This record gives sequence, C-alpha cells and structure tokens, in this order.
Amino acid sequence: MKQRGRGIACMWYPIGFTVLANPSAAVVKVNEDGTATVLTGTVETGQGSLTVLGQIAAQELGIATDDIKMVSADTDTTPMDTGAIASRTTYVTGNAILLAATNAKEILFEVAAPLLGVRPDQLEAMDRKIQVKGFPQKYLPIGEVAHQAQFVKGRPALGSASYNPPTVAMDPETGQGKPFSTYVYATQVAEVEVDDETGEVEVLRIVAAHDCGTPINPTLVEGQVEGGISMGVGLALQEEILFDDDGKQINPNLTNYIMPTSLDMPDVEVEIVKNFDPTGPFGAKGVGEPTSVPTAACIMNAIYDAVGVRVTDLPATAEKVLKLIKEKKAAEQKQISA
Amino acid sequence: MMIDVKMTVNGQERTASVAPETTLLTFLRDSLVLTGSKLGCDVGDCGACTVIVNGNAVNSCLMLAVQADGKDITTIEGLSDFEHLHPLQAVFEQMSSFQCGFCAPGMIISAKHLLDKNPHPSKGEVQEALSGNLCRCTGYTKIVDAILELTSEEASAA
Repeated sequence: MKQRGRGIACMWYPIGFTVLANPSAAVVKVNEDGTATVLTGTVETGQGSLTVLGQIAAQELGIATDDIKMVSADTDTTPMDTGAIASRTTYVTGNAILLAATNAKEILFEVAAPLLGVRPDQLEAMDRKIQVKGFPQKYLPIGEVAHQAQFVKGRPALGSASYNPPTVAMDPETGQGKPFSTYVYATQVAEVEVDDETGEVEVLRIVAAHDCGTPINPTLVEGQVEGGISMGVGLALQEEILFDDDGKQINPNLTNYIMPTSLDMPDVEVEIVKNFDPTGPFGAKGVGEPTSVPTAACIMNAIYDAVGVRVTDLPATAEKVLKLIKEKKAAEQKQISA
Repeated sequence: MMIDVKMTVNGQERTASVAPETTLLTFLRDSLVLTGSKLGCDVGDCGACTVIVNGNAVNSCLMLAVQADGKDITTIEGLSDFEHLHPLQAVFEQMSSFQCGFCAPGMIISAKHLLDKNPHPSKGEVQEALSGNLCRCTGYTKIVDAILELTSEEASAA
C-alpha cells in the first residue's frame, strides 16, 4: 500500500569565506552615450550571475540593466576573480562591482556639481540622470556628464575596486573567530509516497523557503532553488557512483548513473524570504549551493513519517527502503510473539 | 566507401556523400554546420541531439545519416529566422526556463514535437514528453511551466 508522509529540514550555509583570501575585483567605466561597461573576472555558467551583477551596477549608476555591457572571464582584460564557487558571486563580486560603480559615480558627481551649482553630496544618480536630491528637475543626462568628465575635465568616469570579506583569525585559546562573512538560512518540506510492498519512494511536492538577503533577481533565485532541489532529489533517491572490487566505476554513463528526469521531479513551490544583509550589495547574500542542502534530509524525514524507517545510507533506493521496512516488521513481529 | 544521401533539412534539400558510419548528428553538425543540435552523451541517454525526422523526435546520435536518406529533418535551426523566434523559444526566454542552455535545443525540439502531436497536453504529458531530455541546472520546473503557459495562452486566445 502507498503510504504518505511529510518531512522538514532546515539549514544554514556560509557565504563569503574568509579563511583564505577570497577577493573579487571590478572596473566600471561610464561611457559618453550613458551606457556603462563592467569588467569582471567571474564566469557565467547559466546561473544568471552576469545579469545580477549588471543589475547591481545599473542600480548604483541610476541607469537600466540594458545599458550595462558586461565583459567577463578573460584574464587578458578583466581582473582575476576567486571564482564562480562557494555561492560567493552575488555577494563578493557584487560588492566589488558596487564599490567600483560608486567610485565612477563619485567622479560624475564631482564633475556635475559645479555645472548644477551644488555640492557633490547633494546629487543622486537616477533615471539615466545626475540630478539634485529633492529637485529632480535640475539634472544633467548621465552621458552628458560622462562626456564632460572625459573631454572637458580630463577625468574619465572610471572606477575600480576590490572586495575581500573581512577576516577574523581564529583565537588559539578560545577557538573563536569569524570564518565566514555572512550566512543564509532555508527550510524545505517534502511530501512523499512510499510503496510499503516495493520500497519505492515518490516525491510528490517540495516547498522551499530560502533566505538570500535581498533577492536581486527573484526569477533567477527561483531557478537556482528549483535546480538545487532536482540535485537534492537525485542525491536522496537515485544518484550513486558504484565501483567494482578494483575501484573501477561500473556506472560511468547516464544509462546507469541515474539522475532525475522531468518525470522524477515533484511539484516545487519556492518561497523567497526577503531579508536585508547590511554587508551585501543592496542587502543581497547568495543562493547557489544552499538550495540542495536540506532536500535529501527532508525527503528522508518524510520517508520516516510515511513508513517509520530511518534511511542512513543514500540514495534511498527501493531495495534499501524495502529491506528496512521488512526488518521493522520482523522486529515488531518478534515483540508480539515474545 | 562513401554513400550518397539526399534529405530535406529545415525545408531545404541537401545532398552529400557520407561514410556509412556517420551518425545523423555528426552529419548535421560537421557537414551541414548546423551546430545547434548538441553532442552530449553520444549514446542516446541525454537528448541534447534531438531532432524531428518525418514527424518523430529522435536522438540524432543514434541514427545513421544513411538511415535519414530521403527523410524530412527539422533541427533547432529550422524553428526561427533572424526576425522571429518560434513561440516556444519566446516563452522559454520570457520565463527564464533555461540556465546553462546545453539541453535547450533538444528540449525545444521535444516540446515542439509534443505540441505538433498534442496541442493541449496535460502537465503529466509534458513531463513524459521531456523525460528523454536530461537537464542538470533547472529541475525542469520552469521548462514544464513555460510549455503549459504557452498552451494555455493559445487556448485562451482561440
């Protein structure tokens, strides 16, 4: 008979490691046509980080994301980046780009201030304009200011910066220190159906609530969470590298290394828990790896809720689950007869 | 030994002389330079090479070019022109369905094949139709959602 169960799992995950140097750097150049060019060493692999980083630069310069040209991942032209690893790009590279954009913006403010008859600190960048705070009718188009900076003042609107999460070394006496810059939190709930005659587990639904600070691009955050859950489902129920006695992998291709297909995916509901981290760019932290951390745990808890067995060796294949169910029934039988 | 083949690819008649062991995928990619169809696993597991042959979605890595002789082939390049995206491509773009994109050509072809046969599929039918196309990034969620979005739009427009 098919038994239903629900399980919950929570996690925290560190963002911006500080044990080793972990820098990102960026160059932001505001062009005379009002666009901006961002040089970053980080790599886009489809997660959408260049979109998010472009949004960060655009927000700081008061222009549209479409006005940003991202130049990435070429060590001949861009600063070196620690890498698209450790769920660090939005946070660490984002902070570097934000600082570089701020530096370029300050030059624009210094150039625009005398032209608008105010001090630089009375200016703001918004709607492709450098305008006086509180008097938005008093403005210069950002491209015009960049032109003035380049050709009249001889001070091109160029900013460069780096960001390295602040380090607190471990105290050898107390063991205390600060190994990571900030943390994200998440809870996932799984609903499963376990066939107690075959041991087969089907994940019906997963609800995932994730804190990533400010979700700079909520659609991309959802995409990361959905993808992470599919990897977590694979870890929980299907994926395993098998070796023979000589240490040779016996399932080295996708015919027998079984990963989730569209038919294995549960209904996924993503809840982004909005939060603001004062150390992140516009309050953002990260979302990549944390998405698959609680998935297998909540599925195992749901299996326990459904049929009362604890799977401690992943993946929870039908064979393993059925063996545990039989052992449990045998133990119960023994208790009754004893 | 070379064998002459003649087939229609994306509406154009193409002829070539191929080695008998040449797969349809290798022929499309190397001889016709239609590199949209991807070489993933090369053993028919991943679906990145999916094309439509006489109305059937096939893994082009598992079919020989000579087997496609005289047949009608549609690849990802045949879905759009420089001016217009295919409605499936447009809805996938709009809903940010793909991430790294490697599975996308095969996924889009499988989705087109489904909608050609069944314009108003259920969610289960969509999942079934895409089950031969592996994706490691997206969890398939926004891909399935986009296809259902497109078919419900068309239903409400009709």
